[in-house]
Amino acid sequence: MSQIKTIHNPIGSLKRFLDLLWITFILFMTLKGGTNGACAACKYQRRRCAADCPLAPYFPAEQPKLFQNVHRLFGVKGIVKILENLDEAQKPEAMKSIIFQSYVRDRNPVHGCLGITQHLQYMIWLAEEELKAVNSQLHLYRNQQNNNNNGQNHHHNQMIHEIGEKQEDITSQLDLGMGLPINNNPSTSFFSPLNVSETQQHPYTYEANNNNNGYSPSATYTNSKEILTNTSLAWGQNGFPYHNSGFINQNESCNEIKSNNGVMAIQSQLVNLQMVSNQQEGEGDDVHEYDEIHQFLDIIDDRQSFADSKEAYASSSGESLKEPIGEIGENELRSAATCFSLTSVS
Amino acid sequence: MSSSYSNYTNSPCAACKFLRRKCTSECVFAPYFPPEEPTKFANVHRIFGASNVSKILHEVAPHQREDAVNSLAYEAEARLKDPVYGCVGAISVLQRQVLRLQRELEETNADLMRYASCLGNETTSAYGGRRS
Repeated sequence: MSQIKTIHNPIGSLKRFLDLLWITFILFMTLKGGTNGACAACKYQRRRCAADCPLAPYFPAEQPKLFQNVHRLFGVKGIVKILENLDEAQKPEAMKSIIFQSYVRDRNPVHGCLGITQHLQYMIWLAEEELKAVNSQLHLYRNQQNNNNNGQNHHHNQMIHEIGEKQEDITSQLDLGMGLPINNNPSTSFFSPLNVSETQQHPYTYEANNNNNGYSPSATYTNSKEILTNTSLAWGQNGFPYHNSGFINQNESCNEIKSNNGVMAIQSQLVNLQMVSNQQEGEGDDVHEYDEIHQFLDIIDDRQSFADSKEAYASSSGESLKEPIGEIGENELRSAATCFSLTSVS
Repeated sequence: MSSSYSNYTNSPCAACKFLRRKCTSECVFAPYFPPEEPTKFANVHRIFGASNVSKILHEVAPHQREDAVNSLAYEAEARLKDPVYGCVGAISVLQRQVLRLQRELEETNADLMRYASCLGNETTSAYGGRRS
């Protein structure tokens, strides 16, 4: 009966056959994509991804935006040119810095990494000014205490001695690069931060601090302030802005990096003042000096690959795209805070 | 800016000179790569490539292009000096410095508080002593 039916309905059987063919094709494509997927670089360039593809380890297929950023700024030729003059050991580090640089340029097409540099220089200036003020206040107190102590009892002398000892301990701890407990509670801070006028142009330009670079970017203060508000919030969280302001990476590849260079490890590395002083003496001599660069990858997220993340953020907050960085910053901070608590617990 | 504008009418900009092409009045590089600074363009071209720079410039608003070019020039120079870390190396150094200063500040603030409370106790006891 069925044979008769098919004979009688040749169009129907053809339709069924075509459906079957289509389903097989979809299945084949899914399986191919799932098990033998090309890296993001090869996918983008529509070429076969060989087993020894040099770009595959850095551009997983799940993060196409990562490669797009790098491709847009450096181009594949540019990356290959940079990599070909480096040792094998230096290549992964170089790729990480390239990916980070491209990511920053994507987020801030005007200022790129220079925006971050200027912002950090401003932070340094701010901290130095505040430190100066606190130290002068401390000096005043010490003098006052010394004057009082001339006619006071032994108990107070002992107290000051204790404080002095404590300070020496702190200094020695800092010299040794040991971590110190930080009180993040702003209410306990005795000396409030300096009131720096928001319209004031900070005196630290790139030229002032870096190696005779002839370019003096005229980045407006409002722009750097925008970044400042995003990252200064982050400082309070765990004292590490670019981890905090970044995203949580849910990718396996990046989780690997995270587990190798956990947040706590990075923090302890960063406290190491000895390393800082070494770095200032001979910057760029030692590969290990830039250990913390690993954390930069943490901020590069797969979420970026979900198209138009910026727009999504903006629409979710119900505001215009006037200040997309600020809006993203809030979202990022929220997610990063959760991430931080999870990583620190684990 | 004005000088570079006036210059490119006379001689080709650094980019067009480098690329050996005719510098027209529509040249996107001309206002930002004056012929007096040939290395600025050479560096940027070596690291990012002229077409990528041109794309970036077209995506950026005209009033922000100078900043964009300067930041690209800075990044290119940093990458040429340090091919491994580029400007990211400078960022990490600055980050460490900021962290160190913030910790130092926290400690100094804590010291100040200790002194303040110490002096506070002192004055209270002195005042109490006088009263009794």
